[in-house]
Amino acid sequence: MTGQALLWGLLYALPLVVRSDFLLTIFIFTFIYGILGVTFDLIFGFTGQLSMFHPAVFGVSAYMTHLLAVRFALPFWVATLPSAAAAIVLALIVGSICFKFRLKTFYFAVVTLAFAEMIRLVVMNWNSVTNGTLGLVVSGKPTIYWPGSGVVPIKGPIAWYYLTLVCLTLTVLICSRCLGSWMGRCFGAIRLNEDLARTLGINVFRYKLLSFLIGCALASFAGALYGYYTGYIDPGYFSINQSMEVLAMVLLGGQGTLLGPIVGSFVLTGLPHAIDLRAEVRAMLYGAILIFTILVMPRGIVGTLFALRSKRDA
Amino acid sequence: MTQLVLGQVLNGAIIGAMYGIIALGITLTFGITGIVNFALGEFMMIGAYVTYTLAERGMPYPVAVVPACLIAAAAGYLSNKAFFQFTRNNLVNGLLVSIGLISIFESASMLLWTATPVEMHFVLPGALRVGDIGLPKMKLVVFAVIVVVIVATYLALARTWLGRAAFAYAQNPEAAMLMGVHTPRLETAVMLYSTGLAGLGGALYASLYSLEPAMGGVYVLKGMEAAILGGIGSLMGSLWGGVILGVIEGVGSVFLPTAFRDAYGLAVLVAILLLRPSGLFGDE
Repeated sequence: MTGQALLWGLLYALPLVVRSDFLLTIFIFTFIYGILGVTFDLIFGFTGQLSMFHPAVFGVSAYMTHLLAVRFALPFWVATLPSAAAAIVLALIVGSICFKFRLKTFYFAVVTLAFAEMIRLVVMNWNSVTNGTLGLVVSGKPTIYWPGSGVVPIKGPIAWYYLTLVCLTLTVLICSRCLGSWMGRCFGAIRLNEDLARTLGINVFRYKLLSFLIGCALASFAGALYGYYTGYIDPGYFSINQSMEVLAMVLLGGQGTLLGPIVGSFVLTGLPHAIDLRAEVRAMLYGAILIFTILVMPRGIVGTLFALRSKRDA
Repeated sequence: MTQLVLGQVLNGAIIGAMYGIIALGITLTFGITGIVNFALGEFMMIGAYVTYTLAERGMPYPVAVVPACLIAAAAGYLSNKAFFQFTRNNLVNGLLVSIGLISIFESASMLLWTATPVEMHFVLPGALRVGDIGLPKMKLVVFAVIVVVIVATYLALARTWLGRAAFAYAQNPEAAMLMGVHTPRLETAVMLYSTGLAGLGGALYASLYSLEPAMGGVYVLKGMEAAILGGIGSLMGSLWGGVILGVIEGVGSVFLPTAFRDAYGLAVLVAILLLRPSGLFGDE
C-alpha cells in the first residue's frame, strides 16, 4: 500500500521536475485513458462482464458535454453532470436488457457492441446536431475557481496534467471504495461463480447492473475531458478499436487491479511516441506486443509484479 | 417497388453468403477447437489481395483462386502454431491475440499494397435477366460456390468418420484422444480449413468489389453476427445466418434510411439473442 501511495505522490510531484510538454502530454493522455481503463476494469476485471459499451459512453458524453456547454452557455463542470446522467440512463437500458436475459461472456460482449454501434450510427448521421463524420471543434476550456485570481480557464500542459490527474485519482478512490465495501465482494462472487453467488442470496442482476452503472458513469468524465483536451470530437470516439484499445490496456497492465489499467494506459499511449517508426510498422509492433503480453504474461505487468513480490515475501 | 425489394433480397442473399463463409470458419474453429479466431477477416483479406495480384499479372482468375486459398491457409497454420493454439477455451485471450494479428496483417498489407482501394478487372461480365431484375453472372457464380462449399462441409462433417471425430473432440478432447482421434492433427486441420475458406471468400470477394487493407475488420464483424444469428456450432446455421443478415440489411435500407444499414442487422440480432439465446439453429 505504501508503495502505491509513493507512486501517486511521485505523479503529483512530477511536473516540478519534468517541464517537457512532450512528456506531460503523454501523461495527460495516460490519465484520461486511465479513467477509461479503471472503470472498464471495474466491469470486466472485477465483475467479469466483458462490456463493449465503453466507447458509446465515452463518445456520448464528449458530444453532450460540448453541445450543452455551447448551446446553453454552461460551464464545463455543470455540463458534465447531465452527460454523466445520460451515460447512466444508457447503461441502465442496455444493462437491464442484457442482465435480465442473463447474457454472459461472449453474448454480452456482442449485444453491448451492437448497442454501441447503433449509437455510433445515430451520432454519425444526425448531421444537424453532431455535424456527421466531420466532427466538431471544441474551443471552450474547463474553468476552475482558484483562490486569489477567481475563475480561471485551464490552459497549458501543467494545468491539464493536474486536472486529469485529480480526476483519475478521484475515479480510483471511488472505485476502491466500492470494491472495498460489500459491493466489491458481491462483484467478486459474481465473477468467480455466478450460479453459486445466486445460491448464496446475492441479487446477481442488481450487482451486475450496479457495477455496469458505476463504470459507465465514471467513464463519461473521460469522454468529456478527452473532447476538451484534444479540441476535436468525431464519430471515431465510438469506434470498436476504442473498445479494443481499452481492453488491451487493462490486460497489458493487469486485469482485476486498479493500478494495472493505468500502467497499461501509460505503456500503450507512451509507446507510439517513444519509438519513432512509420505508422504501419508501429501498428505491427503494437500488435506484436499485445500478443506477446497475452501469451507470456497473462496476468499483465502489475499482476506479474505483485506475484513476484508475494513470492519473495513468502 | 416489389421489383426493388426483390432485387435487394437477391443482392442481400449474395452478400449474406459472403458473411456466411466467414461465419462458417468462426463456427467451425470455435465449435470444434474452442478457439476464437476473430482475425478470420484478415485471412480473407490475404486471399483477396493474392487473387488480385496474380490476376493482374495475367493469371486466369479460376487458377489464381487456388494459391489464394493455399497462402491464406498457410498464414492460418503459422498463426495457429505460433499463437492460437495457446488460447484454447480462453475467449478473451483469443480475442486479444486476434486483435494483435489484425493489427499486424493490416499494416503489412498497407506496406505491400498501400491503403488505396484497388479493383480487379471484370472476371465474368454480363448479367442474366429474370423478369425485370438483372443479376450479374459473377454474383450468381459466387453465391453458388459458397452454397456448395458450405453444404459440402456440412455433409462431410455429418456423414463421415472425420465429422464424428470432430464432434467427439468438441465435446471432450481427452476422451476423443483416448478413442484414437489424433487431436493435434484435427485441430491443425480445422485451422487450415477455416483460414483456407476465408481465403476462398476473399478470392470471391475480389471478383465483385474493390479491396482495401481494412476490409477484413468489417467482414469479420458481419461474420460473427451471422454465426451468432445462426447459432454458434451450427454449420447450416452459418449460411442461413449470413443470408438472413444480408437480406435484412438490403431490404431494411429500401424502407428505412440507408445510413443505418448496419443497425438493422444488429437490431434483429439483439432481438433474436434475447428470445433465443442459442441462435436460430443452435441446439441446447
